[in-house]
Amino acid sequence: MNSTQALNAIGSCLALAMERGLGKNGLVFPVECKEAEDDTFQNSCQNLQQIFAQMNESYRFAEALANGELKTEVSRSNIFAMPLKALQASLRHLTWQTNQVADGDLSQQVDFLGEFSLSFNRMIKSLRDKKSLEQRLKTITDVLGEGVYLVDTEGRLIFANPEAERLLGYSFQEMTGEMVLHVIHKQYADGTFFPPEGTQLGTAIRTGQAYNSDDCVFACKSGRLMPVSLACRPVITGGKLEGTVIAFHDITEQKKYQESLQTINALLEKQASTDTLTGIYNRLKFSKLLAMEISRARRYQSSMAIIMFDIDKFKEINDAYGHQAGDSVLIDMARVVNANVRTTDIFARWGGEEFMVIAPSCTLDQGVQFAEMLRFRVAQTTFSVPRKVTASFGVSVFRSNDTELSLTNRADNALYRAKGNGRNRVEAEDAEAFYHQAGASRPPTS
Amino acid sequence: MKNVYNFSWEDLGNLAEGRPNLGGETSVAIYRLMQFTFKDVLSKELGREKTCELFVKAGLLAGREFCRNVLNPDLPFDEFIADLKAKLIDLKVGVLRVEQADMESLNFVLTVSEDLDCSGLPIFGETVCDYDEGFIAGILKEYTGKDFTAKEVDCWAIGDRTCRFEVKPVEA
Repeated sequence: MNSTQALNAIGSCLALAMERGLGKNGLVFPVECKEAEDDTFQNSCQNLQQIFAQMNESYRFAEALANGELKTEVSRSNIFAMPLKALQASLRHLTWQTNQVADGDLSQQVDFLGEFSLSFNRMIKSLRDKKSLEQRLKTITDVLGEGVYLVDTEGRLIFANPEAERLLGYSFQEMTGEMVLHVIHKQYADGTFFPPEGTQLGTAIRTGQAYNSDDCVFACKSGRLMPVSLACRPVITGGKLEGTVIAFHDITEQKKYQESLQTINALLEKQASTDTLTGIYNRLKFSKLLAMEISRARRYQSSMAIIMFDIDKFKEINDAYGHQAGDSVLIDMARVVNANVRTTDIFARWGGEEFMVIAPSCTLDQGVQFAEMLRFRVAQTTFSVPRKVTASFGVSVFRSNDTELSLTNRADNALYRAKGNGRNRVEAEDAEAFYHQAGASRPPTS
Repeated sequence: MKNVYNFSWEDLGNLAEGRPNLGGETSVAIYRLMQFTFKDVLSKELGREKTCELFVKAGLLAGREFCRNVLNPDLPFDEFIADLKAKLIDLKVGVLRVEQADMESLNFVLTVSEDLDCSGLPIFGETVCDYDEGFIAGILKEYTGKDFTAKEVDCWAIGDRTCRFEVKPVEA
């Protein structure tokens, strides 16, 4: 084969490759070197054949790299493959770097790879910023005196801070993936279980609503039900509900304080309204209740009688048997009368040896009958002093223009008349006119 | 004159004082001129094999001193490698890249591109980065406290575009 024939054959081979690509067999050198017409041409053919082979190898090597096969080897003498080898080394290194980043190594940087370096390094910076933010948030939740749970949209635990672990006794590991509410929020404060439809907190988690409560209890690992104050807020990313943060703290001491405060207030209220000697209402409380009953009677146009009574000759009892014996008489008097008034009546110590009874829904006549019954019971009672103890009673009835003062003054006047008329008796307000008008007979007096 | 010279980092001198105008850098060609003329003379005096051995030893000493004086051996491995890589770029020694790192067996595959010793050399048909082999082994010895061997398996001088080193701890 002469050189012209050889060049034509090579030209045809290259033209075919440029038209159809290298194909499965690559470039096939079309000249048999041994058949070259002289040694110089034969050497040239051999060099060209070697270049064909290197091009084929480089092409296959590039294909392997394009397919991500980073362990493919190529002969060292291949001058076309040299930049590809550099690319292979870079890709191997990038593979290692990517794994490092996946394992949390954010010290990785890519240098001298143009735009890829910029992109990779920007990604690393972004991850570092995110990690830094996460670390800050973790530090905040670590030192926060508030338990914090993060749950997904189904209520499964994703995160718990140390305070949440400390408060309820469950470690993050043992709670991870658990339905938090099934474990810690399943009961009312009295221990009864929630109905199947669930709770407001469960609804808030499912629907992504904010929810606050100071009346929940969470179940500790120990079984104790801990009263908590909680705030529940949805985590929404890109308009989609991602989960819920539940922040809570123990309010056991606060609850105890509230309960003791209520007890103290009730005690103070009782002390402020009770006569310390007899245990019945005092004058202050009586005045308040009388004002209320007057309002009620006026509004509903109902009747109401007032009975004022006074222990007869109480000063003589004190003088003869001492104040302690006098106090015993007062106590016994309160006990006797209290045992004979209706549950709807109001009985109070007015002051000294004077007492008051408000008898709702009673007319003057009924009030007088009621007072007479009380007088009789008192007179029948054996007191702790060696003498008979009696009381005198004055009765008045509510009129629409009455004030507390006018109503009690009329009862006081009636009482005054009972004293003047011999004691141990009942007198009604304006008695003569009333009984004359009503046609009723005067109740018996003693 | 003493028979033995013991290297000290201070012997590198005060470059700011000594070279106020020219500064602390020189050309890669001048560095290579020195290294390859050393190789020429030493190989003729001691033979190629001994010369290569001495270059590895010198590189090992340089690596240890470099680690002590330039790097922070107290850093965790990932950060240490990142720091080493950054320093080698800053000092224009080369672009270090890790391809494999097995922290249990302490086996590593490292590459150095744009290497000070060999990148751009004609193809000699044999690896030439003996000094680099010692340098890498010296740094790791200083960092881990263990002896290492670094073997150059790919080199510009044998037709590669990057130098690749297989690094292993020396079996006890």
